[in-house]
Order: sequence, then structure tokens, then C-alpha cells
Amino acid sequence: MMNKWDIPGAPAEKPTHNAITEKLKTDLLTLNMGPQHPATHGVLRVEIKTDSEVVAAAIPHLGYLHRCMEKHCENLDYRGVIPFVDRLDYLASMSMEWTYVAAVEKMLGTEVPRRAELLRILTVELQRIASHLMAFGTYALDLGAFSPFLYAFDEREKILRLFEEISGARLLYNYIWIGGVWNDWTDEQLTRVSEFLDAFEPETDKYHDLVSVNKIFVERTAHVGVLSVEDCFAYGATGPVLRGSGYKWDLRKNMPYSLYSEFDFDVPVGTAEHGELGDCWNRYIVRMLEVKESIKIIRQVLQKLEPGSVMGKVPKIIKLPKGEVYMRQECPRGELGIHLVSEGTDSKEPYRLKVKSPCFTHVSMLPHMAPGQMVADFVASIGSIDIVLGEVDR
Amino acid sequence: MLNELVSKINSAVSGANASLLTPEDSKLESSILVDAKKIHAVAEFLKKSKIMNALQAISGVDYVEFIEVVYIFGNFDIANPGQLLLKARITDRVNGNIDTISDLFPAADYQERECFDMLGITFNNHPDHRRILCPDDWEGFPLRKDYVAAKNYNGMEVFPEGKMNMADREFIVRQEMIKKAQEAQSGKVQ
Repeated sequence: MMNKWDIPGAPAEKPTHNAITEKLKTDLLTLNMGPQHPATHGVLRVEIKTDSEVVAAAIPHLGYLHRCMEKHCENLDYRGVIPFVDRLDYLASMSMEWTYVAAVEKMLGTEVPRRAELLRILTVELQRIASHLMAFGTYALDLGAFSPFLYAFDEREKILRLFEEISGARLLYNYIWIGGVWNDWTDEQLTRVSEFLDAFEPETDKYHDLVSVNKIFVERTAHVGVLSVEDCFAYGATGPVLRGSGYKWDLRKNMPYSLYSEFDFDVPVGTAEHGELGDCWNRYIVRMLEVKESIKIIRQVLQKLEPGSVMGKVPKIIKLPKGEVYMRQECPRGELGIHLVSEGTDSKEPYRLKVKSPCFTHVSMLPHMAPGQMVADFVASIGSIDIVLGEVDR
Repeated sequence: MLNELVSKINSAVSGANASLLTPEDSKLESSILVDAKKIHAVAEFLKKSKIMNALQAISGVDYVEFIEVVYIFGNFDIANPGQLLLKARITDRVNGNIDTISDLFPAADYQERECFDMLGITFNNHPDHRRILCPDDWEGFPLRKDYVAAKNYNGMEVFPEGKMNMADREFIVRQEMIKKAQEAQSGKVQ
């Protein structure tokens, strides 16, 4: 505790009168943020100990959205699990589906047709844009700017409408299936994707002018919640959090899966244009730059697409060989890992399905980030790691 | 490559008894099994020798004869990216315990708490050994294969008869009746 009598201008002799010292007794105040706090992006409860405005400690309490997803999956057949993994990160369902499906395909040894792989990349990159738009909108909302939220939702809506056309759902798609994708895109829909990109690309510059270099926004986020690269490795952080600290790591580039090695794109890292590497502003700017890279990838997909089948040869009843795989893919919020264990070909169900969720990892960094921050900066820190509680609690 | 790592672990950590587990199907992942008592030393070796620089997840699998704790490491080195599945087996289902590695990899803190919550493995010397996803007063460990769902929780009945969604059940019963009728009909035709 800080000794209040060490400040300049205080009486030279410290009073020893009992009544005064008793009044000056300081204690930490326990404050519960959540589970229904708008700044926690869902049902996260963070118990914070505050010393006046300064956070001394933060203890996240998880589990308010725990739906025993891993237990449920042990009683479902391999195809039946897909709608359940949808509900992990409900803002990036396509990425969740693809990681799970890729794990099953790796065990099964299925060959996926080229058009299906390209369509998967197309949908996942569109999903990444939608997810980052949501992150952008809600982050600005956390910091008190309302209008960016409306801009972001306007554009996100256009992507969701496209997804609704191809899969029938706006949020939880069940679109990427084992062996391929459920539905082919028509040429007319693909034209609309490229029209959307043409209209959307200038919009992103508008967001930069509106938010990224906004003086109030920069003041709120620069030099706040700094995480070094060593911290990121210690806590196993991935995705925009790791890249915001200035480490150029992206699974799509460093351990390429699917057809990503054919594509030409950059891996944006924190620019330190404002603030320093690893602070909230740099984590934010990585997401905004990634949107542009996704646009680049989608344009290349549209050029590469050729007519063909969208579903490979998959047995009617899927039975996997005895063993396990661990599949990692780059999702909007970081690396999702699926540890899938099969008991052998007698069983139609997964023996064990463990989801390594990037958001769960990032929540575990909050107690490390919090001490010494102002309460308002702590809100900025929670927003900058961009968590979705569906994925944290599973 | 994993073979070399096995011999490296065996020479660096005495009593680790590292062995390579290879699946019958070559598509699947190989892993390294080590002695549960030496897990801290092995993790320390992996970190100090810079073979793996980050812990990604700790997964647990209940194989009934033993419970397997799977440490999933990742190497986030741009020149030499990779991942490793390191396993330790625990045979004691009642007092099963293993040393924590959260002092080496802070990421293990929450992952070990989840492993305890779901499979009931105690992590010795863990700084904050509590349940994480289930409520603190939850009984049993849900991801064990012998787990039986409780009938009561805090005095509340789980799945009370009167509040079950009977429409679902009626639907299933009707489907069964239709199926039986169809079978009977097709039997007559033959």
C-alpha cells in the first residue's frame, strides 16, 4: 500500500493520533464486473480488486456459458458434431467448422475437390472480415464511440446475407461438411462477392480515418495493456494478440494448410505508429490490416475458381481409425486446436474431442495485464483481446 | 525426428522412460509417452533446450484402465515450426496426481484447472487449484467415462417429469410407430 504521507506538501511530522491514522486506513475494494456487464462481450465475470481507480488484481470467473459441448460430442456421430462446433465461436462459425472437419478429414484421408477447398477459403475469409468488423464495432463501442458500430454492422450484414443465401442461416451455418461443402455458389453470387469487395475496400479507409487515428481513440488505447512477445509465448497467445506484439506468425503462412500456400498475401503485425508494440492500439490495427489481406485472398480465390464438384467421396457412415490428431487452424481470434481421439473403427462417435480455444488462452492473460491499470483502461484491455464467451466456456 | 527427441529426453532426464507411440495408421499423429513423475523435468528440458517454446493446451483422455494427460506443445519458431504431443499416464483413478508445470509455462495454469475440472486429476503445487468451468460445488468429473449425471443439484431436480418437453418424446414415439407400420406393411407385400 502507498504511504499517503510521503507526498510532497504533507506535514513534516507524521501524526500519530489514533483517530487520524484510523481514517487513513486503506483497503482494497472488490468490484464485480459482469456477468452482465456490457464491456465483457458476453457472460464473463471479472472480480477486480481496486485501489481507488487503479486495478490491483483481476480474477476472471468462467463457466457462465458452459454447455458441456465436449461431453455432448462424445455421444454424437462425426457429422452430428458440426452444428455443435458452430456454437463455439458464434461470430466465426465457418472457421470453427473447417478446423473440426479438417481434423476428421485428416484421420479419414479424404481428398477434397479443389473447388470445395477454394470455396472454403472464400467463406472463411469472408467470415474473418465479418468477425473483425464485429471486433472493430464493439471495441469502439467499449471506448464510447457509437457510430463505428453502425458502420461495421452495415457491412457485416451484407456478408451475413450472402451466407444466408448459401447455407440458410445467418450465424450458425453447418455449411462446411466432411468431404467438401454443402452447397455450391452460383456465378451470380460470386459476382456479388466481388461487387461487395469493390464497395467495401474504400470503406475500410473510412474506418481508419474515423477511428484508427482519432485522437481520443489513440489516447485511450496507446500504451495500454502492453504484452511483450515473451508474455505471449508464456501464455500461449496466438492470432492478432501475438501479431500485435510484433511477432510475424500466421499459420496460413508458417505452417500452410489447405491451399493457402498458393496465395499471395502479407501477415500484418503491429506497426507501432501510435503507442508501442503489444498495446491495445497495435492489436486493434492488426485486425484492421488483416481485413485488407482477406480481401486480397478472396479476389485471388475468385480468379482461381473453376467449375467442378464440391463434395468428395466420403463413406455414408464415418468410422475413423484408432488414434488421434491435433489440428490447428488460424481463426479470426487466434489458433483453434481440435484434439480428436478415435477409439477405432467399431465406433461411430468421437472418443474424445478437446477444443483448444484461443479466447480461453487470452482470458488467462487478463490477471497478468490488469495490475496497475485504471479501471477504464482495463475495459479497453478486455476489448482489445476480442473474446467470445461461447468459445471460452464451450 | 521424434525418435531423436525421445533419445534426447532420455539422456537429459534420468528416469523419464520416454517412448514413442506410433499409431497403426500413418495419417495419424505420433506422440511421446513419459513417466508421470518426471513430467516437470521433461517440460523444463523442452523449454530450456528451446525445442518447444509455448504450451498450447492440456487435454485429458479417460481410457478407463488409465487416464492420459496430453500436453500439446507448439514451436512458434519461424525457421522450424512444429508441434508435439507429450503424454503421461495416471492409473490411480481416486487419488491421481501429477506435478504442475504452470511455473514453467503460465499457460498451464488455466489448462490444468480445466483438466482437473473435467477429469479429476490433481496437479501438485498448482497456485490456484479450483474448478474452472463447472460450479465449485459440482460433484464428479464429467469427462470421465464412468460419470453418471446427478439426479439432484442443490435441491433442484434435474429433468423433472412435469417439465420435460413431451412434444419431442411424442415425435419420437410417433416416428417409431410409423416405422413399425411400414415394416409390417412391407412384410405383407413380400
